[in-house]
Amino acid sequence: MKRAILGLYAAATVGLMAWAYYQAIYVAPDEQTMHEVQRIFYYHVPSAMVAFLFFAISLAGCIGYLALRRNHPTRAQIADAWALAGAEVGVVFCSVVLVTGPLWGRRAWGMWWTWDARLTTTLLLWLIYVSYLLLRRFAAGPQMQTLAAVLGIFGALDVPIVYMSNRWWRTQHPAPVFGGGPDSGIKDPKMLAAFGWNLLAWVAWGLMVLGLRYYVERKKQKAIEREQLEAIGALQA
Amino acid sequence: MKKIFFRLLAIVSVVLLARAAYLVLTAPPDPTYASANHDAVIAQLGHLFRQAAYSITWAIQLGYLAWVGLKWSKKPLVESSAADNGRG
Repeated sequence: MKRAILGLYAAATVGLMAWAYYQAIYVAPDEQTMHEVQRIFYYHVPSAMVAFLFFAISLAGCIGYLALRRNHPTRAQIADAWALAGAEVGVVFCSVVLVTGPLWGRRAWGMWWTWDARLTTTLLLWLIYVSYLLLRRFAAGPQMQTLAAVLGIFGALDVPIVYMSNRWWRTQHPAPVFGGGPDSGIKDPKMLAAFGWNLLAWVAWGLMVLGLRYYVERKKQKAIEREQLEAIGALQA
Repeated sequence: MKKIFFRLLAIVSVVLLARAAYLVLTAPPDPTYASANHDAVIAQLGHLFRQAAYSITWAIQLGYLAWVGLKWSKKPLVESSAADNGRG
């Protein structure tokens, strides 16, 4: 039953992705100045939003781990698995943002990269979370999860800075599309619909991958627990 | 079966990555304003870069899904987990 529901969810997500692609390419009209290259927007902006969402999940997991690690070790492990899954999938979406952005910028601005506040803080965010993942991959010992959780919390502090960067500083990056003042927002309803479908599709896709990553991590944690219990049992025998 | 599926995804991801690189590297240079076919080349470049951006997005997403899927189907899990934690 559970497997059938997961299969249905995956199939619905793939269908949603195809529909969102159709909306972005064939339904949304051409933007007047940038024309076709503006359609990168339908992958670039939702990816950034989903990355922020998953970094928030990672933050909640990190805080949960630190709060629960002494009194509720099993719950702490669950929180840690969410923290890792959120950070990893967040990095994947942030990588998409950092790759599609320069491709768009090359056509729209005539350059691949500029060290403006939005781009630089996004790169920093990516680097912090990559270092979080590297720490988890290569550090050994019982303190690894605690250190990673602290780094994860500091990494999440960069998210509001990235979000506010083009409000606080003058940037090459465009002004906020949403919540950026009275003139902000997408005026064309077809463009707005294409954006909405793509956001929904990427959220659904991201949650599917996040769920799988969480499941794999929990399986690994349980295997380690089993191994430790067996080792203790062997010592006592 | 699971392993084959995720390996296929990994191959698709590499193909998409190569396609994106090919599209960008073989794109024509920016036209000068004086050139006769300026607008046509700009439109073509926009099309190529949009295709490259979509390809690379799917390359990253499918590549990651393939990596997680192969990790999931790897057995025995405990050996890899011990190695991952520097205890292997």
